[in-house]
Amino acid sequence: MHYESPVREPLILGDKSYHDITVDVAKPIETTAPKSWWIAISISLVMFLWGVGCILYTIGVGIGTWGLNKTVGWAWDITNFVWWVGIGHAGTLISAVLLLFRQKWRMSINRSAEAMTIFAVIQAALFPGIHMGRIWLAYFVFPIPNTFGSLWVNFNSPLLWDVFAISTYFSVSVVFWYVGLIPDFAMLRDRAVKPVVKHIYSILSFGWGGKAKHWQRFEEVSLILAGLATPLVLSVHTIVSMDFATSVIPGWHTTIFPPYFVAGAIFSGFAMVQTLLIIMRKMFKMEDYITIQHIEMMNIIIMITGSIVGIAYITELFIAWYSGVEYEQYAFLNRATGPYWWAYWSMMTCNVFSPQFMWFKKLRTNLVFTFIISIVVNIGMWFERFVIIVTSLHRDYLPSSWSMFSPTFVDIGIFIGTIGFFFVLFLLYARSFPVIAQAELKTILKSSGENYKKLREKGHGHH
Amino acid sequence: MANSKKYWKGFDDLIDSPISKSLAENEFAEPLPSTDFYGDEKKLESSSTSRRDFLKFLGFSTAAATLAACEAPVVESIPYVVKPEEIIPGVPNYYATSIFQGGDFASVLVKTREGRPIKIEPNKDVAFNGGTSARIQGSILSLYDANRLQEPMAGGDISSWPEVIKATKAAIEKANNSGKQVLFVTQNIISPLANKLVGQMAMQYSNLHHIIFDGTSFSGKLDFYEKAIGKRALPTMNLDNASLIVSFNADFLGEYTGQSVSSTYAAKRKPGKSMLRHVQFESMLSISGAAADNRYKLRASEQAVALAYLYSKLGGAVSKPNVNESTASQLDAVAKELKAAAGTSLVLAGGNDEASEAFAFGINQLLGNVGKTLDVANLLLLHAENDAKLSNATKSLASGKVGAVVFVDVNAVHALPKSLGFTANLDKADAVITLTDRLDETAAVANYALPLTHFLESWNILHPTSNTVGLSQPTIGKLFNTMQFEEVLLAWLGEDKKLYDAVKETYSELNLDAPFNTALHDGVVSKEVAAAAALADVDYSGYAKAASAAVSSGTEIVFYRSTALGNGTYANNPWLLEMPDPISRVSWDNYLMVSPSKAEELGVRNYTESNGAVNGDYVTVTVGENQLENVPVFVQPGLAPDTVALAIGYGRTAAGKAGNEVGVNAATIMNGLQHWATGVSIAKASGKHEFACIQLAHTMMGRKIVNETTLEAFLNDSHESWNVKTKFETHKGQLTASETTLWQAHDHQTGHMWNMSIDLNSCIGCGACVIACNAENNVPVVGKDEMRRHRDMHWLRIDRYYSSDMTEEVAEEEGIRATTKFLKMEIASDNPEVVFQPVMCQHCNNAPCETVCPVAATVHSAEGLNHMAYNRCIGTRYCANNCPYKVRRFNWFSYENNSDFTAVNPAQDDLGRMVLNPDVTVRARGVMEKCSLCIQRIQYAKLEAKKDGRKVRDGEFTTACAQACDSGALVFGDINDSASRVAELKKDTRMYHLLEDVGTEPSIFYQTKVRNKA
Repeated sequence: MHYESPVREPLILGDKSYHDITVDVAKPIETTAPKSWWIAISISLVMFLWGVGCILYTIGVGIGTWGLNKTVGWAWDITNFVWWVGIGHAGTLISAVLLLFRQKWRMSINRSAEAMTIFAVIQAALFPGIHMGRIWLAYFVFPIPNTFGSLWVNFNSPLLWDVFAISTYFSVSVVFWYVGLIPDFAMLRDRAVKPVVKHIYSILSFGWGGKAKHWQRFEEVSLILAGLATPLVLSVHTIVSMDFATSVIPGWHTTIFPPYFVAGAIFSGFAMVQTLLIIMRKMFKMEDYITIQHIEMMNIIIMITGSIVGIAYITELFIAWYSGVEYEQYAFLNRATGPYWWAYWSMMTCNVFSPQFMWFKKLRTNLVFTFIISIVVNIGMWFERFVIIVTSLHRDYLPSSWSMFSPTFVDIGIFIGTIGFFFVLFLLYARSFPVIAQAELKTILKSSGENYKKLREKGHGHH
Repeated sequence: MANSKKYWKGFDDLIDSPISKSLAENEFAEPLPSTDFYGDEKKLESSSTSRRDFLKFLGFSTAAATLAACEAPVVESIPYVVKPEEIIPGVPNYYATSIFQGGDFASVLVKTREGRPIKIEPNKDVAFNGGTSARIQGSILSLYDANRLQEPMAGGDISSWPEVIKATKAAIEKANNSGKQVLFVTQNIISPLANKLVGQMAMQYSNLHHIIFDGTSFSGKLDFYEKAIGKRALPTMNLDNASLIVSFNADFLGEYTGQSVSSTYAAKRKPGKSMLRHVQFESMLSISGAAADNRYKLRASEQAVALAYLYSKLGGAVSKPNVNESTASQLDAVAKELKAAAGTSLVLAGGNDEASEAFAFGINQLLGNVGKTLDVANLLLLHAENDAKLSNATKSLASGKVGAVVFVDVNAVHALPKSLGFTANLDKADAVITLTDRLDETAAVANYALPLTHFLESWNILHPTSNTVGLSQPTIGKLFNTMQFEEVLLAWLGEDKKLYDAVKETYSELNLDAPFNTALHDGVVSKEVAAAAALADVDYSGYAKAASAAVSSGTEIVFYRSTALGNGTYANNPWLLEMPDPISRVSWDNYLMVSPSKAEELGVRNYTESNGAVNGDYVTVTVGENQLENVPVFVQPGLAPDTVALAIGYGRTAAGKAGNEVGVNAATIMNGLQHWATGVSIAKASGKHEFACIQLAHTMMGRKIVNETTLEAFLNDSHESWNVKTKFETHKGQLTASETTLWQAHDHQTGHMWNMSIDLNSCIGCGACVIACNAENNVPVVGKDEMRRHRDMHWLRIDRYYSSDMTEEVAEEEGIRATTKFLKMEIASDNPEVVFQPVMCQHCNNAPCETVCPVAATVHSAEGLNHMAYNRCIGTRYCANNCPYKVRRFNWFSYENNSDFTAVNPAQDDLGRMVLNPDVTVRARGVMEKCSLCIQRIQYAKLEAKKDGRKVRDGEFTTACAQACDSGALVFGDINDSASRVAELKKDTRMYHLLEDVGTEPSIFYQTKVRNKA
């Protein structure tokens, strides 16, 4: 039997029994929703519908409803795309990479982190679709047999790699998430009183019986999927970064992009997990499972990835100077001092300076402070993508074509819409899915539950 | 009986056996299994087609049928019942014709397809004005202008021709017979037929006075030549032997007397020992000033005195007048050069004042240029205006002595300067008759409006210079119930003569050698020219006094014709309205150009909105008693001290749906018919003006974009020193981008390899190529608002860059920080050197756009072209982002049916659609487009060659832009044909690729600009 070292902080606080965990996890689903939930979903729905309206308007009238021009062909669309994909990185990292590294603290947060991943990737996937001039021909990007002769997609195009990267990532994430959900759905099925609900959960739980064989298969599949998902965490944003890195535009054509983008993605993903979990643990009273220790751990990751991103920014500047390429040098000078200086310095402040506060234990264990920083980080990461895309494009090689970009209400509306959509999905999830992987969590109750730890300390003195 | 004969099927039948009977009763010999099949449940269950399968098939076939029903709407095209002999569908016919419209004369070829004129091409066999300007290229669109007047109007109601002719003739007769004047106000008439008919009218109606007005008057010049050479005509310029041009405010490459010299100018400016040198003194930055080797600022009011100074300096018999110090030293230097180039130089004067022209002519005379570079035998007949006649007519009108006024293609209410007082007194005339192509501002006050035909629907004979006679022939039947001026005159004179016969008759009266049909085929015939008359003596002392008196301090305003609209004839032409001005790069507007220092003084500015759109403040401009309000200000370098400029022809209120409310009307504040006015006061007004300026950055930021050198360096130094190739440090030593490329090279040896050379030394920025491209490739018009947002759709643009005082060298010398350096580099010099650079798709052989398209919609051809497959394009715009040249254009909206573009896009109405080139697709919304190097022309030429079993010959065809380029800056061809011009140009030492160091290996290349600086 494996016992955890007594020096480690307990991962589950309070005097919890297995049954307590079951009850706590099932509570948000089985009880009526708090008023705060209704307010939140109403606001989210309004935002979502506004976004739907803006998307329909775009499709009906044309991309001209956005603020783009001949020089700046991408702006908020791809900024939002990269931003949402980045956010969708934390979930898989937490559940897959930390599973492989046997980080048990992941267990109370991986479910929601993964849900967030999937919902974020859905938002992200919207943008490559709607940014097309002719979305009705979007199927052209799939290498499908067709009647156009031997017409094939262009495998040289990073945008095509994106299609594969995002769809693979999305499907693996969904499967991984769902596999984890099966025993928990079974738990809900077993507790359900209403026949309809019971029926739904029994379908969702795939006839889970909790047999040893089931558990063995469950573990195996989890491990295999974790193995599959881990490279994806690195590959997805690497490929997204190649949209830019393989181009010839100064400010895009940068070999540092893959690691820089992955670090940035994890950075923003963890920030978004923080934002959501801090709200959720409060709303559903899950402070015993999502503890300050979890928050602190994630803050440390934010601090580290934030610093990596900062180093990347400085490296870019150095390389621009060192390269001796006049276009490159101008592109970076223009970022910092040109018309979009405010975007650059917002990015620098939010992404590089703000996470440095996490060096202080007092700050990184402060919930309010963490919450604020988590939002600041995501603002900063949005600006990072905006800076990369817009400030590189707006002044590239030929000054005759230099231009500016300003969003229209449609640009803004679609972005707000995706935030609304994201929260609609997340709020529905929180009320119908077990938000904590309770089956997994129960496996560490005896080794890392506060009560059991105390008991062990008393009984054994030292182990 | 034969038909009662019976055949038996066998013996059974014959004997009528029961088997045969039962067989006859049953249709099928054996029982069909259907009853079992449907009836037997067991069999049904064992069948492989289950109920589910059945439903699947049903569902599928329903869905398939539904989908199959969703077909594209069928557009019917009706074939000829009797095919016209000369029309083969898909094969264009070309007709030679001559144009004289809005002061522009050109000999052209009109391309017609299936009976529709769709494109105007230059008639390069012609010596005089055989090229096409932007306006000539664009003039075809005016044929299909839905705002053309379609029926004769009397008193605001539609009438019929017999009635209006009768009524108008009666009005003329009544005025004439009551002893009042009849004023014929026309543009310059160069048709001998029209002149003859007007003469006959004048004989019939003794009180008829013919007044000429066409926007820009050269009356002062004509007054001088009337005295000097005895004829009211201008001399022609002849640059064939010129080695030095000194121009004073004469924009001879753009808006001058109407003689086009850009082709000879460009030919003479080929870099070499005998390269023509060009010095320009001017008050505002014109395209001639931009082309000049040295350009000096000179206030318009000082032009005459500067010329007098130069005249005196060169030995003219006037005392040297006072000019300011800097001008004097510039003139001294020029005088030296002129002396050295005596007999091969040419001095030109702009404006409408007699004194300037007198001194310019005097200088040419002193230098022995007359008869060499300035031809007084072969005269330019495009101008015959007489300002004195106009002012006399105005006086008669004001005193009520005018009975009838007939305007012929003259929009007097809009265009006649308010200060003349003509239009204010128009209501004193009993009858106002206007012959017009639209219900313009004048038609609104006229009693009768008679619709004029377009020149492409007309017969005519034109006599633009002493040695040129051109013929016009219709290329399409009359679209509307219109008549041309000559027809109306014939009707008034009561002559029942067909126009064709009248033209033929007039032609025969000229006693030319060529038969009429030959002349019609060629478009132009030459005419013998009488020797020049002896030059009369001219009193220069009087002119010297006038010149000194003209000098004025205080603010002055220059009125100029814009490259796009000219005198305003094309005010409702969307192609031309959308053409960015070559200098300011502003489209859809006129504006008061003020220098940066003047702007500061006035407290006005231009500023950029967050989306890159340019705004400007408004000012109120007062000249004398007249005031023009809400004039937008555009800050422009290169203006003379305390000088502002405003284009004429804008500010229309009744031009049509595209041209209304575009700009302000300069005629409100014009000083008579002078080209400039002094004593101007300008006051800042409230509000902001929205400009459609498509270029935000005006300098090259120290980059090698337009490679430029001096003639001295070109002649004496190795080309490596002035045409520097960027080298990269590699482990193999210093290598160029093409030597370090990671790309697999395409096969460029087999078949054709289309390349284009763009000579930056020849390009004068006139914009003819831009409009030619619009016409050839069905480029949509997007309107001011979209232009303002930098969403121009032009496949070919002409970038204009100014020099800046801040350069890399200056920054290094003065130790200026990079940030400051770049900020200062953005600011153009006060009197900048200007360069033009036509940029279209560069057809990169290592194309960044091709690699990034996810669906391979843009691909490389084996012939060095970058193709665009519109049908495959899904519109990700990734290609446009990755294009270093930013030449890709995205269809942001559905320009052909979105109601926001109805007013501007001619392709939205049935009439405007007739100009579309049927060989080129109209692109859908959401699709990327760009220059194809006129792929339709390439294919056509290849097919023709294939049919003839030969190779494509060099120069057999060319792209629309290259064809339109009068100065020959664009040369297109196959570099695999080693004898081709383009192959030769590719080896030129001046050759370079734009952004060579990006390694795109374009098929378009440029030739270094060489300035012949003193």
